[in-house]
Amino acid sequence: MSVEERVKKIISEILGLDESEIKREARFVEDLGVESLDVVEMIAAMEEEFNIEIPEEEAEKNVTVGEAIEYIKKKLGENA
Amino acid sequence: MNLAFFEDIYYENFLPIAYTRPVYEIRCSIGPLYQKISRMFPEAKQVFFTRDYLAPVFSNRVKGSPVNRVEALDDDTLFVNGALLPSKNLKEIITRNMGKNVVVLQQGRVAFAYLRESLCGELGDLFTKPIGDMEIQKIKEKVEVKEVDGLTLLEYPWEIIDYSVELLSEEFSLVSKGESEGYIDDGVKIYGDPKKLYVARDAVIEAGVVIDVRKGPVYVGEESLIQAPSRIDGPAYFGRDNQVFGALIREGCSFGDVCRLGGEIEETIFQGYSNKRHRGFLGHSYVGEWVNLGALTTNSDLKNDYSNVKIYVKQRLMDSGRIKLGCFISDHVKTGIGFIMNTGTVIGVMSNVLSSGEPSPKLIPSFCWYFRGKFSKGLGLSSMIETARIVMSRRGVSLTDEEVQLFHKLYELTREEREKLIRRSKARRRF
Repeated sequence: MSVEERVKKIISEILGLDESEIKREARFVEDLGVESLDVVEMIAAMEEEFNIEIPEEEAEKNVTVGEAIEYIKKKLGENA
Repeated sequence: MNLAFFEDIYYENFLPIAYTRPVYEIRCSIGPLYQKISRMFPEAKQVFFTRDYLAPVFSNRVKGSPVNRVEALDDDTLFVNGALLPSKNLKEIITRNMGKNVVVLQQGRVAFAYLRESLCGELGDLFTKPIGDMEIQKIKEKVEVKEVDGLTLLEYPWEIIDYSVELLSEEFSLVSKGESEGYIDDGVKIYGDPKKLYVARDAVIEAGVVIDVRKGPVYVGEESLIQAPSRIDGPAYFGRDNQVFGALIREGCSFGDVCRLGGEIEETIFQGYSNKRHRGFLGHSYVGEWVNLGALTTNSDLKNDYSNVKIYVKQRLMDSGRIKLGCFISDHVKTGIGFIMNTGTVIGVMSNVLSSGEPSPKLIPSFCWYFRGKFSKGLGLSSMIETARIVMSRRGVSLTDEEVQLFHKLYELTREEREKLIRRSKARRRF
């Protein structure tokens, strides 16, 4: 699975949404209804899935799903 | 004479509630532990010694008294372990041993020491961090050593609750001025001698409130409000500006200033500035400052098999020797609605905990979130500090730079225990 597919899978499981509903341009808060507990759980799940550390202040800069995907890709690149 | 309070290494048994204050500042009955000894020596100049990281914050709270300043020991000094409990003959025991250089031990711990000014400069430094075996050895080399019977040093946090309940009746006379100055509505029902109820200036007890002083007195501090329908069983102490909303306050409770109280509470200490506004039971417990317990937050203080409650001390589970024991909640903890605390639960500083529908884990480290049955780092320290700032401002108190620095220090001190549990939670995730 690609990074994008893995990110979308995590988001869909935490939010209880179908993966097809999770578009790259979807905004976490306004479009997907994400609240603080979901954010915390998503950060923990992404860290576990990709074995990376996501500082909270960096996480909150990712407003859309696409931004989160690119952020993680970049982190993985940094780790490589 | 100087009266210097110090901590010994047993402070570690009192973590996490003692992360944000010296052990001797923990409330017991009508005030902090150290005040009980201070009252015995009203003429003495107070000096405090505590852990380095606490000194700036504690200095702000005891304005005018030196903290961790050896140069302030400009006279003969009585050093008192802040965990030393007052007893009827304690002052007599202490004064009998004053006059020459001496250290008085109780089961290997320093209970108190008296040093002439000439020796304070040489040995004073030893008190600037919690006293352990090495420091005791150095003191013993310089002064006479005595073992004295009849002294009690606190060893575990639940002992504070025990002694608080014991001392409440005794200490009532220290704060009561006899005739109440506040308003007691004619519709208030008092069981027992009305003189055992003291309502301070600008405090109000509404009609329909029941107060039972047959087992102990009740003190209601200035500007406090007790709304009906509430029942209060003595002994009980309410500090300044408490608000009680339709609560059942059972015997043995001590509430510091500015608490908001509801539901059922028994044999519990609130350090101050904390809320348990709604229904839910809290018993045999300690609650730090700036805590908010969400509606229906409830703790167990008795196991179904009536066996001794086990509790985490220094991150190890130990038998408390108590059948009844509730929880220890550190400063700035927030619980969500319906949060259920297991018997003997310990919650660290600033943690944010939400109900998962089951009793909580027995140990929730400092600065973490616990929800959906898992530990996480939440939105991080900055977010927690911002929340603290908002919470405190609602009561007209500003979060100080010293407190922010303390939180950063504690965040690092507690990192390992927190991350261990977060890692375990991550390992349990299934996607």
